[in-house]
Amino acid sequence: MSETDLGRKWDRCMADAVVKLGTGFGLGIVFSLTFFKRRMWPIAFGTGMGLGMAYSNCQNDFQAPYLLHGKYVKEQ
Amino acid sequence: MVTRAWPLMRFLIKGSVAGGAVYLVYDQELLGPSDKSEAALRKAEEIVPPAMYQFGQYVCQQTGLQMPQLPEPPKLNFPVREFWNSGIITVMSALSMAPTKACEYSKEGWEYLKEHAK
Repeated sequence: MSETDLGRKWDRCMADAVVKLGTGFGLGIVFSLTFFKRRMWPIAFGTGMGLGMAYSNCQNDFQAPYLLHGKYVKEQ
Repeated sequence: MVTRAWPLMRFLIKGSVAGGAVYLVYDQELLGPSDKSEAALRKAEEIVPPAMYQFGQYVCQQTGLQMPQLPEPPKLNFPVREFWNSGIITVMSALSMAPTKACEYSKEGWEYLKEHAK
């Protein structure tokens, strides 16, 4: 794996972690306010789930170095 | 009639808010593969600052307040990866040279003490 590929993977991992953490946190807040009487545990649960999903994605990305990330271009 | 229907209405409102949040996450594929999350983050970076600026302008127009023109934040050009890599290389080379240097300095110190002890 070249230096630029490694850098790109790390960038993708960081962006993914930020998005998933924020999404888990946000969903946790929504559920805490709507159904769980403003308790802390849905927020902690959602944040933890998001972080775990991001970690799992990063792990798969780094352990499968020969998978290429491509874009699907629709036929015009 | 209203007091009896109010708990049901409250549940429906809460359910629709929570369901809407879940649907938004599913539709934008925020919890999906890392490519989609990265694309969503880039889209948000493009959309959010102009939207915030336009909202600020709208609030200023409606309230008649003048928003002060804040200076632009400084653009930091800090290449973390390069500093980290050069730091690791420096630390490792220092560790590999440490025994040799320790021998040299202890020899010099011993010679110095022997000369001064004469």
